[in-house]
Formats: sequence, structure tokens, C-alpha cells
Amino acid sequence: MELFWLEHKKLWRRAGTKVSVLICFLYLVGFGGILSFQWFNFGSKVDFTRSDFGRNFDGYAAVRDRQAYALSFGGDLTDESMQQIIRDYQRMESVDAKRAWDLTDWVIINGWLGDLWSELHETGSYQVDISYFDSEKLTDFYGRRQQVLEKYLENNNQTGAEKAYLLQIDEKVIKPFHYGWIRGWQTVLSFMIDTSAESMALFLAIVLSALFAGEWHDNTSSFVLTTKNGWRTVALAKVLTGLAFTVELFAMIAACDIALQLFFLGTTGWDMPVQLIKLTAIAPMNMLQAEIYEWAFTLLGMIGFAGIVMLISSAVKSNVLALILSLAVVYVPTAVDPYLPFGLQKALGFIPLVGSGTDIFRTYTFHIFGNYVWSPYLLITVPVLIGVGCMPFAVRKWSRRVKV
Amino acid sequence: MELSIDRLTKHYGSKIAVDCVSATLKPGVYGLLGANGAGKTTLMRMLCAILESTSGEVFLNGKDIVAMGADYRNVLGYLPQDFGYYPGYTAMEFLLYISALKGIPRNIAKKRAAELLEEVGLGEAANQKVKTFSGGMKQRVGIAQALLNNPEILILDEPTAGLDPKERVRFRNLLSDCAGDKIIVLSTHIVSDIEAVADEVLLMKKGKFVLQGSVPDLIKKAEGKVWELAVPQEETRKWQAGSTVANLRHEGSQVVLRIISEHMPAETAVPCEASLEDLYLYYFPTEQEGVS
Repeated sequence: MELFWLEHKKLWRRAGTKVSVLICFLYLVGFGGILSFQWFNFGSKVDFTRSDFGRNFDGYAAVRDRQAYALSFGGDLTDESMQQIIRDYQRMESVDAKRAWDLTDWVIINGWLGDLWSELHETGSYQVDISYFDSEKLTDFYGRRQQVLEKYLENNNQTGAEKAYLLQIDEKVIKPFHYGWIRGWQTVLSFMIDTSAESMALFLAIVLSALFAGEWHDNTSSFVLTTKNGWRTVALAKVLTGLAFTVELFAMIAACDIALQLFFLGTTGWDMPVQLIKLTAIAPMNMLQAEIYEWAFTLLGMIGFAGIVMLISSAVKSNVLALILSLAVVYVPTAVDPYLPFGLQKALGFIPLVGSGTDIFRTYTFHIFGNYVWSPYLLITVPVLIGVGCMPFAVRKWSRRVKV
Repeated sequence: MELSIDRLTKHYGSKIAVDCVSATLKPGVYGLLGANGAGKTTLMRMLCAILESTSGEVFLNGKDIVAMGADYRNVLGYLPQDFGYYPGYTAMEFLLYISALKGIPRNIAKKRAAELLEEVGLGEAANQKVKTFSGGMKQRVGIAQALLNNPEILILDEPTAGLDPKERVRFRNLLSDCAGDKIIVLSTHIVSDIEAVADEVLLMKKGKFVLQGSVPDLIKKAEGKVWELAVPQEETRKWQAGSTVANLRHEGSQVVLRIISEHMPAETAVPCEASLEDLYLYYFPTEQEGVS
């Protein structure tokens, strides 16, 4: 235990660790958190010719306006409330288009209209659907969603038993949907947590690639390896240190992000279903459950990635090589992913932090031992198992390699 | 206690670094002498069980040191030839970290580290960062860490490198104090250090022990091979090129050369008393004698 504390202290005393954590914190919490909430994601738009960085620095107040407006439609999404939302949008747009665009979830709702009532779309119209669809014709929201979902699955060649399996999951989605302001949750669940995971991979690799290889870099390996506890015991302490650092980095970023989210967005809308973000999602989850899943996915992915980085670090003597190989584990599959066959793309998701927590919005499945398994179930478990499986090998590599 | 080296061999590809070396070491101080690349460091790393031999074994009291694992490392102290430190650690923090690696309880480690820092002359610098130390000070921290666990087997690779004469004397005294019933193997290029502290000398050349014995016994082997010859200054270069000159000193218009030679180099040469350095030069007339 003493060795674990000493290794932990040693890791945190490295300049590389301190600088990495500081940059990670400033980027994810400062830029991706505070500035994102208050300015370039949720600040009110000055006009629509400017980029997001042209928004006002008033995210906190603007979010409350939008939440209050969305809640004015009664809480549950029914045909009546849907029609009312569209009517009110069209009324507001005719008076003050800028206000309508800023206050409402028009991008998301416009997507629903295109998916569910595509027959109302006028080819050649210069306007977006939400601006001219006849609200009286917007009926049978849930029936149409069911049809769209089934058609979507068929278009993906997900038929027969696979389709039945996915529809069975979808049956658990609670209807009618609880309705509120969506874009805040959409930003958190579709971008923020995912970006955090991708970024933390970089900083984890920088710090943990030096965990074992650093002893060669610092030229201290001879000291360590000729001591009583310098083989297996210290390797175990290093692996525990790597795990502790991973959890600490995660906890620090997640706690700050969640605190910022609570401050800027509050808890309003936690019980809305994720289907409001993507209609064809089948996950029987509300926003809170989805957020818990995505943070758990991130933590487990980070632990899995930490295991791989520690194995690489123990297998090579160079800090730089260990870092390059560690980064390659995540970023090479991510880069080549679009050019690979679909089956391989799905399989790459098992590599820690290569897959995405946002798979809860998708209908991907894996066919295992004759059974279909919805991808999020596997994507949250397999990467951590891979990483944990690497840890004993990291211990063995450190203990044995010098003899060769 | 007995450390037996049994036909120990190490190949790096086609090069032979250590060539079927055998010896039995009992408590005492062993000086390992040899030119650069003679195989000293390779041998020492194998004695520390951090480098696998190509063939042959090392036994401590009849047990294979590799199989002994942590039990062997528990009685081992090692000062590598090249080593580094953790940036930002003070001397005391560094020693406490190594103490934990050596399994020394923290309360004992603190006392022992403080004692050793005092003994190597770093008592006042205990809380200064090692990265601010001079080369000699760093070397002394290295010596202290090797002694932390009061090892029964102490392997010191170039321990006096970077130490000034006063520090070298302090090191010799420290080594004599702690020798007792330990097996101490030290390598150095500074022959006078070995002459001062070693009970026995192992002379390595091209991966083999070419000579082994006590300092007086070995010096005897050089007797009759050391000469002094006074020559005019303009002939100095010719003599240096044609023979092994251990030393030269000016005496008036003449230069007195100390020549290592099997035969009398000139009629005017006079035999003189040999030293270990003369023996070393007899076996290593040039520095390019080693393997790798």
C-alpha cells in the first residue's frame, strides 16, 4: 500500500502530469464547459449570419427563457401540443423570426416534421417545413413514429428477428413523451460527454504512457529492478496508480461538467425520453438515464484504455514510442473508420474510447451465439474487459522483459 | 556466504561480451578492472539478475539467483554505472522511495536514509532537489541508495566516477566501514581506488578474467616489467609511440619515462617497483581492448 501511495505521488509530481491535467481541465471545463454554456452554444444569437462564436455572452439567461417557453406547452407531447408548438412557432416567426429561431427547438422539431409528415413537404419551397406545414394535419404522432421506425429498420436491412428484437426494446419507451426544451440535453448527450471522452484519451495517453516507460526514460530502471519490491509489487502499484489516476481525471472532469450543467441547464427535462433528440432511437431511457449511461461508458472506456496504455508502456522503453502507440490505439481506428466495411466499423467500437456512448441513439446490433444484442450493452462492457485483461500482462511485461 | 559464478556467458548477436567466466566470491571487496568494453558492466548486470545470461549461472550459497528472485534482491545493493533521478525529488525523498522498493519500514527508512546521507556528506543537502546537485553529489546519492538495505552483496559499477579526491577518500572509508561480512564487487578505472580497498582484483579482458588475486600477488606479476628511462626531450614522442609509457616527468633537460615492458627497453633503463596501475597497463596497453 505504501508503494501505491508513493507511485501515485510520483505520478502527480511529474511536470507532464500537472501540465496535461491543467490543459485538459482548461479545455474541457473552461472552453468546453463554461464558455460553451454561457457563450457559443447557448448564448442568444445576434443574427443568423454569424457563427456560433458571434453569439451573445448570455447563455444562463437565454437557457431559462427557452426552458420556460418549452414548458408552456403542457409537459406531455401529444398531437394537440405538437400542433400548438407549430402554430406558435409560425405566429412568432411572422412577427420576429430571430426570436423564433432563438427561443424554440425549431431545428429538432423541423426534423420530426420531415420524418413523420413528409407528404406535407412542398418540393421547391424555399422555407423550412416548420414555417408552412399546416398544424391541423399534424396528427397521429406516435403511430407515425412507429411506422418511420419500422421503415428505418427495414432500410438498414434490419428485418425479421433482428427487427422484432429492436421493436421489443422500443416497446419499453414510455409514451406520451415528456416535453421540454431539448437542445440543452441534446448538446450534453450528443456532443459534450463524447468530446470529453475523446479528449481525455489524449491526456490519459500522455500521462500513463510514461508510467512504466518513464523508468527507462529517467534512467532509474536499474535502481527499481534490483530492489526486493522492484518487479511484481511495484508493477502492481503502478497499475493501481494508473487506475487511480484514470478515475481521478474522470471524476474531476465529470464532476465539473455536471456541476456546470446543473448551474446552466438545471435539472429541468431530466425525465424527457431520448427519442426527443432522435425519433428513431429505441433506447428506453430518459435524459438522466442516458447521461448516466454515457458517463459510465466514458469511465469504463477510460479504464479500458488505461489498461492498454499501461501494457504498451511496460512493453517499450521509450516514452515517445509508448505515447505514439497509445494514441494510435484510439486515433488510427477513428481516422480509418469511415473507409472500412460496416461490420468492421462496428467491431472497432470495442476498442476502448473508439466506440461512442451516443450509440444509445442508434439501432446497431451484434449477432452473438444466435442472439441479437443491442450494441450499447456490449460497447459499455467489452472495452473495459479488454483493458482489465491487459493489466496482468503489463505487470508481467515489466517483471520479465529485462531478462531477455 | 558464497557467490559462485559458473561459466557465465553473454552474447550480443555475434559479439561476446562475457565469455564463460567463473569465480567464487566470498566476503570481501573485489575490484573489477578492465578497459572500456571489457565486459565489466555486463557481468555486473548479470550478477544483479537484471540481465539474462546467454549461458551459465550465478549461485548464492548454492541457489540460483534468478530463481531466488525477491529473496536475492533483498540482500543486494546495486549502483549502476549510468543512472538518473526522478525530477523534483529531494535526496531524502529519493532515498525514502528506494527504501519502500527495498521493503524497509518507513520509520527505519527515515533514520537509515538520514544516516547514509550524513555518511556520504550530504546531510545538509538532504532536502535539496537532486536535479540541483553536481555530478559528484548525485553519485553520492547513488552510493547511499545502494547501501540502504545494508546489503550482503554490494555491486558498485564505477562508484567513484565524478567524485573529487576528498570524496573518493570518504567513499573508501565508507566502504571499509561497511565491508564486514559482505561481498562487495566494484569496478572502476581509478586503479588507486582498487589498490586502496580491494582484497582481491579480477582483471577482465575481452569478456574473460585474465588475472585474479590479491593486490600484492598481482603486483608481483608486474615485477621486472617496470622500468625508468631518462631520455632527451626530443625522443619522448618516439618512446611513447613505440612502448607503453605509464608516466613521464621532467628532470632538467631530460625526461624520465616509466615504461612497462617485458624486456629492458634500453641499456640505461633501470628496474623499479611495480604498482597495480603498471599491471593494468601491462594488460591494457591501449584503451581499445574491449568487446563492446
